[in-house]
Amino acid sequence: MFEELWQDVRYGARILLKSPTYTGIAVAALALSIGANTAVFSAVNTLLLRPLPLKNLDQLVLSQALREGFDPYESSLLELQAYQERSHSFESIGAARQRSFNLIGRGEPERIRGASIMADYLTTLGVKPVLGRSFTAEDDRPGGAAVALISHSLWQKHFGGKADIIGETLNLEARTYTIIGVMPPGFDVPAAAAIWVPMQINIASLPLTQRAVPSCEVVARLRLGISLKQADAEAKSIARQLEQEFPQFRRGWTVKLLWLRQALLGDYAGRVNKALVALTGGVAFLLLICCANVANLQLARGIARTRELALRRALGASRSRLVRQLLTESMLLALLGGAGGLLLAHWILPLLAVINPVQGVSLAGFFHEFRIDNRVLIFAFCVTLATGVIFGLVPALKGTGEREVMPSLRQGDQRSASAPGHGWLNILIVAEIAVAMTLLVGGGLIVRSFNRLQRVDLGFRPDHLLTLKMVLPESKYSEHRQRVAFVNQVLERLKNLPGVVSAGTTTNIPLEREIAYDARFSVEGRSPRNPNDIPITSHRLVSPDYLKTLGVTLLKGRLIEETDRAGQPPVVVISEQLAREAWPGEDPLGKRIKRVRPGQDFPWMTVIGVIRDVKEDLFNYRVNRPVWYVPYAQLENNFPVNLVVRTSDDPSSVTTAIREATRAVDPDQPISDVMTMNQNLARVLVTERFSAILMSVLAAAGLLLAALGLYGVMAYSVSQRTTEIGVRVALGAQPIHVLRLILGQGAKLTLLGIAIGLTAAWGLTRLLASLLFEVNATDPATFVSISLLLVSIALVACFLPARRALAVDPMVALRYE
Amino acid sequence: MIKLQHIERCYPLAKEKFFYVLREINLEVQEGDFVSIMGPSGAGKSTLLHILGMHDHGWTGEYFLDGTATHHLKPKERATLRNKQIGFVFQQYHLLDDLTVYENLDIPLSYRRYRTSERAALVADMLDRFQIVGKKDLYPHQLSGGQQQLVGVARAIIARPKLLLADEPTGNLHSSQGEEIMELFRKLNNEGMTIVQVTHSERNASYGKRVVQLRDGWIVKGDQ
Ligand SMILES: Nc1ncnc2c1ncn2[C@@H]1O[C@H](COP(=O)(O)OP(=O)(O)OP(=O)(O)O)[C@@H](O)[C@H]1O
Ligand SMILES: [Mg+2]
Repeated sequence: MFEELWQDVRYGARILLKSPTYTGIAVAALALSIGANTAVFSAVNTLLLRPLPLKNLDQLVLSQALREGFDPYESSLLELQAYQERSHSFESIGAARQRSFNLIGRGEPERIRGASIMADYLTTLGVKPVLGRSFTAEDDRPGGAAVALISHSLWQKHFGGKADIIGETLNLEARTYTIIGVMPPGFDVPAAAAIWVPMQINIASLPLTQRAVPSCEVVARLRLGISLKQADAEAKSIARQLEQEFPQFRRGWTVKLLWLRQALLGDYAGRVNKALVALTGGVAFLLLICCANVANLQLARGIARTRELALRRALGASRSRLVRQLLTESMLLALLGGAGGLLLAHWILPLLAVINPVQGVSLAGFFHEFRIDNRVLIFAFCVTLATGVIFGLVPALKGTGEREVMPSLRQGDQRSASAPGHGWLNILIVAEIAVAMTLLVGGGLIVRSFNRLQRVDLGFRPDHLLTLKMVLPESKYSEHRQRVAFVNQVLERLKNLPGVVSAGTTTNIPLEREIAYDARFSVEGRSPRNPNDIPITSHRLVSPDYLKTLGVTLLKGRLIEETDRAGQPPVVVISEQLAREAWPGEDPLGKRIKRVRPGQDFPWMTVIGVIRDVKEDLFNYRVNRPVWYVPYAQLENNFPVNLVVRTSDDPSSVTTAIREATRAVDPDQPISDVMTMNQNLARVLVTERFSAILMSVLAAAGLLLAALGLYGVMAYSVSQRTTEIGVRVALGAQPIHVLRLILGQGAKLTLLGIAIGLTAAWGLTRLLASLLFEVNATDPATFVSISLLLVSIALVACFLPARRALAVDPMVALRYE
Repeated sequence: MIKLQHIERCYPLAKEKFFYVLREINLEVQEGDFVSIMGPSGAGKSTLLHILGMHDHGWTGEYFLDGTATHHLKPKERATLRNKQIGFVFQQYHLLDDLTVYENLDIPLSYRRYRTSERAALVADMLDRFQIVGKKDLYPHQLSGGQQQLVGVARAIIARPKLLLADEPTGNLHSSQGEEIMELFRKLNNEGMTIVQVTHSERNASYGKRVVQLRDGWIVKGDQ
């Protein structure tokens, strides 16, 4: 048995070596598709499967508040409290609040991301410090001690990883915290935190307005046996209760539970998941095309080897013995292809990491590390084996069939018996074209949708913009006028820097991955038509020059000016969409609008200008969300003051000068996240870009393989039809007739494949619908243009064999008489 | 009808060496003639017939067909001339396997400028004349060898050539079937068609008006 296998392997290897071109083409095709499969699987592995430094991640969920069913928000303490008291789905619940600290007294002032968390937060996640201890209920009590946990990397960076770190202190915004522990390497949940401090609140004693603010990340561990769906249903019913109990805050709001893993990817809409499913489908299709291709090569070669196989049968080999021998050959080929595929994947993976679809900021070390681990290796091996069986089986069975073999032994009967598996060549190539067609249509739709997304009007000019983040510490800038003074001084200095065209500040940089501030509004003289309507707008507090700096388009009225100071009549600039929602069909200029918040009173603001819609909110990129711009000085707040600077040259060239200018105003004020606007924007469509790039590469590879396959079949057919063509020429066929004959055959196969592919695509692309933007899943333009593309590539693939047919010399073709 | 002068055909053997298949062929065939080319195997008979049929252009010398100097023609013009003047019958019949008798007959017409209605009439005519109307929907493999060659001849003359070339048309047939084809050739010749056939059999040659003997590429007998 083993002896026999070894013999088959040796013989197979010799056969493969004997026709290096054939072997080379087959191995290259296999390597391409196995490599693509392995690469995509390793992305799936990294993003969806590989363990993260959280315990039993498949039980952890995040609760998200949804306004009007689509607009995602963080949770409020109301939900947390209700879950704690009423839910039965959760084993434990924890909450964290993102918070950043200005770290002073350790070198450069630095803004460090962190979180204030409840003691239950880390136990729910199942994470323990590697050094020291975690928070206890005692730490988390109001008025508890100022203690902090630090991340592994902060420990390395600021304390050189020294062992006796416990008990050291950190000066965070004028308060001194004692370090009680160091978290495991890579752990930085929530939101890339490097410092954790206890939240130290008593929910019950907080005023309702504070409890209702959606500013918490609520995570929960599902009880064993509880599904996400069950828990989500329960959470939704609790949300309905809250809606009744606190209508002034909760009307129109619901909640949604999602897997924490998905939330960590920043994938609230589930697009990463869907994109990966689509891509997995894509690589599977590519693999099918490749299998059909190699099977065709094997078949065509099998036909040439008919005599050898027949001879072996005549010498007493059983059919199963021959099938085994041919399968061994296929396996050898597949293993070579698999090895090539792994190598290819190894090269592709760094590129995949670059176009990583991750929208989230946490656990970057894990989510950005695409590598071939054991799971990927096992996957690649299984795919390789499956491939070998799939492409080897048809040729092996066809090549060894009783009926097919015997006639070929009869001498001189070459013409009468049509070669075995001949019909299969056509079937496989039609299937191949059909699959390629489906793949191309899918890829085409996704690329088209991505193009649409990219061409979405941002409402501002992103070139030559530099953005920098700043948070003014409450401890130092306790009064709003101090903050205003700081902003004015910094802007004054920036304006005079060489290379700076203009500069402004905003509380949120457009489309940034941070908590974005919103406001409910009320329109003067108008009660909402429907009490369930809770009109909301993106809420931006900006310096006078900000809108000019951003490069918005003013449609009506004027922008904010220096004169719109504190103490002057409150003004506001609104977006078109806000104008549409607040004053449909009316001129909004001069009308008044104000922010509403239970328990607080805000002044009426007069609309002084209307601008073209600006894409402000990352999670509402696909819709036009209302936004208003309020003078920073006129509305007291302690939001971040982010700098946006328009430059005449390369934006990053002024970074140092800007840092110096701010330091001159306040040497302790850190600046973080210095980026060009285009760098910011590059992070917006990461998921879409990932799928668009990969899908188009896959579709192109599929097209290439299908074209190669068609070429092979046509070339083979022409060589088989030489005599026939010779006869036709002798009977008067002109070149055009011969061309028509061959191209006609190719066209028939192609069109049949396209027809089947279109039907399949029609059914399958519906599954892509939720990934598409402004493109219909059955977009006729895509279907037609992809069909045309495939037809023209197919014509090229058929043209080369057809040219060979044209060169057929009837004399030579008919010579064997 | 045909005038060949100093026709030579050679194939390169090794370096700078040539193998002459045809030497110094001078041959004239008058309109209405019926010539049989004979000679041992390898003498160059088929080669000569392919030159006459203008399937081959790798020769030197002069070939006048119906007064046209074919050796001066461009490939395209030669193809046009051939389509107008020549019909060809093969020893192996070479009917197209995937086409019915009817479609096989239609093939030459489809390669020439005929209108569809005209083609149908011509094919029907030919089926009738060769008494194979009943077989028109059969495929070649459903016919006997004699019937296949009958279709082969019908196909060769359907486009009304003036010259019929046949390379051992009865080589694969029983003698009775062979005679049937030869009778047909004689009839066609009587109707005015010029025929050049290659044959090994004296009996077939006797249907013709004269014999040209070929040996090692030279015409040894029958040259006028
Ligand atoms: N392409 C070629 N290359 C080299 N030699 C060739 C080629 N074609 C024909 N010949 C040679 O030319 C000679 C004549 O061939 P041809 O087919 O004309 O003979 P024939 O008289 O028809 O013989 P047969 O009676 O067997 O059909 C042969 O010796 C053959 O080997
Ligand atoms: Mg011959």
